[in-house]
Amino acid sequence: MDHSTHIEEIARRYPAERRFSLAILQDIQREFNYIPAEALPIVAARLDTPQAHLYALATFYKSLSLVPKGKHVVKLCDGTACHMRGAGNLLGSLSRQLRLDADGRTDDGQFSVELVNCLGSCALAPVMVVGEAYYGKVSLEQLPTLVDSYREGGENDE
Amino acid sequence: MISITVNGRVCACEEGEYLLDVAERNGMLIPHLCYHRGLLPIGACRVCIVEVIERGRSKVVASCVYPVRDGIEVHTASPRIREQRSVIIALLLSLAPGSTEIKRLALQLGADIPRLVKAPESDTCVLCGRCTAACEALGTGAIAKVGRGVTKKIAAPFDGMPPDCIGCGSCAHVCPTGTIAYEHTDESVSVWGREFELMRCTGCNAPLMTREQHDFLTRKGGESPELLCERCGKQGVARKLKTRERYLG
Ligand code: SF4
Ligand code: FES
Ligand code: FES
Repeated sequence: MDHSTHIEEIARRYPAERRFSLAILQDIQREFNYIPAEALPIVAARLDTPQAHLYALATFYKSLSLVPKGKHVVKLCDGTACHMRGAGNLLGSLSRQLRLDADGRTDDGQFSVELVNCLGSCALAPVMVVGEAYYGKVSLEQLPTLVDSYREGGENDE
Repeated sequence: MISITVNGRVCACEEGEYLLDVAERNGMLIPHLCYHRGLLPIGACRVCIVEVIERGRSKVVASCVYPVRDGIEVHTASPRIREQRSVIIALLLSLAPGSTEIKRLALQLGADIPRLVKAPESDTCVLCGRCTAACEALGTGAIAKVGRGVTKKIAAPFDGMPPDCIGCGSCAHVCPTGTIAYEHTDESVSVWGREFELMRCTGCNAPLMTREQHDFLTRKGGESPELLCERCGKQGVARKLKTRERYLG
């Protein structure tokens, strides 16, 4: 199935009403790991809603992305507690280890790193989430092993 | 019907009406920027703040989007409000020092202009949101507030030319800062990097609306609107009435 038909199919899961814009974009994000540019006109036509509205949603919500996210999405908490406990250092170290580009991605598509606000586990600061797995009290020392475990062939790379 | 007091005066109103509307109806004008008659209230600029006292507690709210409740006591120009409002308008002016509308408000509100305003090279958008509201109401919603926080801006998808734009120019018309480039000649309109050909009045050949606007009205109204300018349209109606009178008479 090519992209367009797939997107069309996702859009048809919901009634053709504007209020389902976000739900559809979320489903597209889940399937493709990003919102492909061609999705906008397709969803817009289906919902009879302006493309600008969809674009605004896609740029507003952190969970939506217009560029492909990595296979492993690393969320580094930069909320107040984590910030105070050195989230900045972790980010610096991560981007060196992974050679992240300006958008926080690796060019092999394996990782993308994003800063998020409080994850609600401040007692464990600094907190990092890889995929669905939470890591608390993350130290600079343990980062390399942790990152390696998610690299291709690592124990956490499903 | 409920009643509230604004600056000591009792005003009758309906539950859920917006405070700014109630105050204006009763002759008390509240300064505002993003609020624009004919558009849905936006609540972005905060120029319209007032003090509301409800059950002994006082708070500052944006009156253009604040639904009134029975018995509230409102002060539109208390010292606290005056001070905060003058800072808000000075900050807005610092983004767009050339905007006559903002300058007029700043003067009227006694903002400390020299302290806060450093002349930037050119006026910038103040993100009041009038343009997007106007586009939603009169056009197609072709532009939107894109992004969030400090990177928020008014744009079309992918920062390109808006595919849904019909060239009506409503956005540029309501913009207080003149930051939307809009030009028109006798033949065409250009806005958001696109150029639109103008259709003409079938009566007097005056430029009337863009082809895309005509298509849009056709789609919306279910039939294509007559290509007549206001004057020729009126004349047409008058002529029709006359012939009918002749019939009846
Ligand atoms: S472009 Fe003009 S109307 Fe639109 S948000 Fe900016 S200042 Fe307001
Ligand atoms: S600040 Fe990171 S979990 Fe609360
Ligand atoms: S006029 Fe009320 S917030 Fe702008």
